[in-house]
Amino acid sequence: MAPRATRLRLRDFRNYERAEVALGENLTVVTGPNGAGKTNLLEGLYFALVGRSCRTSVEREVVRVGAPAARLEVDTEGEDHRSHRLEVGLAPGEPKRLTLDGSVLDRPPACVRPLVSVFMPDRLTLIKGPPTTRRAHLDQLAATLWPARGPVRFAYAQALAQRNAALARVRSGRSSTAALDPWDVELARLGIELMEARAEAAALVAPGFAVRAGELGLPERAELAYAPRSLSGEPAGLREELFERRPGDLERGFTGHGPHRDELVLRHGGRLLRSHASQGQQRVGLLALLFAERDLLLERESAPLMLLDDVTSELDSARRARLAEAVRAGGQVVVSATELEHVPGGIERDVTHVEVQDGTLRDRAPTGLASAA
Amino acid sequence: MLAPPVNRLVTELARLPGIGQRTAQRLAFHLLSAPEDEALDLAAAIREVKETVGRCETCFNLSVGPRCRICEDERRDPALICVVEQPGDVIPLERTHEFPGRYHVLGGALSPIDGIDPEDLRIAELVERASENGVREVVVATNSTTTGEATALYVADALRERAPDVAVTRLASGLPVGADLEYADEVTLGKALRGRRQL
Repeated sequence: MAPRATRLRLRDFRNYERAEVALGENLTVVTGPNGAGKTNLLEGLYFALVGRSCRTSVEREVVRVGAPAARLEVDTEGEDHRSHRLEVGLAPGEPKRLTLDGSVLDRPPACVRPLVSVFMPDRLTLIKGPPTTRRAHLDQLAATLWPARGPVRFAYAQALAQRNAALARVRSGRSSTAALDPWDVELARLGIELMEARAEAAALVAPGFAVRAGELGLPERAELAYAPRSLSGEPAGLREELFERRPGDLERGFTGHGPHRDELVLRHGGRLLRSHASQGQQRVGLLALLFAERDLLLERESAPLMLLDDVTSELDSARRARLAEAVRAGGQVVVSATELEHVPGGIERDVTHVEVQDGTLRDRAPTGLASAA
Repeated sequence: MLAPPVNRLVTELARLPGIGQRTAQRLAFHLLSAPEDEALDLAAAIREVKETVGRCETCFNLSVGPRCRICEDERRDPALICVVEQPGDVIPLERTHEFPGRYHVLGGALSPIDGIDPEDLRIAELVERASENGVREVVVATNSTTTGEATALYVADALRERAPDVAVTRLASGLPVGADLEYADEVTLGKALRGRRQL
């Protein structure tokens, strides 16, 4: 069974002074008026599990105004069926402190916590932002599916930096062009490995994306396709391509060809979702992608915890029903909404309901736990 | 604040790898308060090592005299060469007592970021050595890092071109001996799986 989160405690995090919430085994619904702190609660859960924010790179802004430090704790049930506790302490100007069951560590290991899949308005950059965010997302998916392939993207980035450094040295006359030879070879070797992982991951997720996008309300056919720069399937071929492009690379001073220029193309009705779709359609596209990935991981019994922030507001009732089915298909999900009625399946018996009011939590489910401000 | 000779010592110590200002200061004060012969022994040891230890003219390993002990040893197989990045890499290989051949120390790994090109390593010398003396096999034992792998590929390419009769091999990477499969990390295990061999 995939690890799951059971309980979250926040202290001086965003607008929460002190809060504690017990999470449902399946669906947890967080409701409250706008600005009450629903998104903050979801962010807090992400932060506690992953060790960083899913919304900002300026971490000190998560500390409640006037408080010296923020503190987050999450209890989990790990792969080993034991309970664990992850803690994050964050004081501006001091190094962040992560602990697992009391011992300090750099990054929470995957076996004690669920993977986290986030839907928030900020995440729309994945759909409409530059290709680099989609490449990184695809690489992350591949690394999740095949952990042994995870380091390839970092090794590729290192080799790329080395080749670019070699280009700069050749340009300035400090090296001969022969200095590029080993890096063409290494970049090609790692590049093909990276491309294979991306192609396989994209092929796995593509059918699910098309189906989920249709269910959730994209009127026309949705497609997901990996679009590599190089069509070569062999290190020797990619090496040849790199060699041919040397003059141009030397002129520009950087490597212009290779998987670092690839794209993960998302289309709707044959047009790019990135540039030729409404905001609502882009939101559905993102949701479909996240659910398609969840479905894949569900098959592998490593379903992620899904955090869906304000996901239902733009969906009509038929789509909401479809979303309810998707949410119910398995795994732990936390959904936020202004009204419980907006949440598909939100009134079922096994749903944990948490109400947020000005940074205070009230637990509505019989199994839940109340919190104090 | 410190007397000029002390300052000089701190500056020199701080140049050593892994030594910052603070540690350099601590070491300097330690040397100042240490018995005179202890401190001078250190100075003498540094002087001696710089005056007597050089590079072996064949394999570029550390050596007292023109050739190192391994290259002088007639029992070591001259037709088998193991290529390593640094002199320090010879030591663990020697400790295995498994390698009957000789070594070739490249003096680093390719890394344009650090300004290291093929000409800066002893690759030409290796190719020359391999193509001349009836060398049978070259074992490439550079590190399993991006720079180490790039160096290995480059060395293999150069040897294939200039000494095509020499077999070029690479150290295997995989599970540590005595390790439980259950506790192996995915990366190592994945590599071991790709490098599996016939039984």
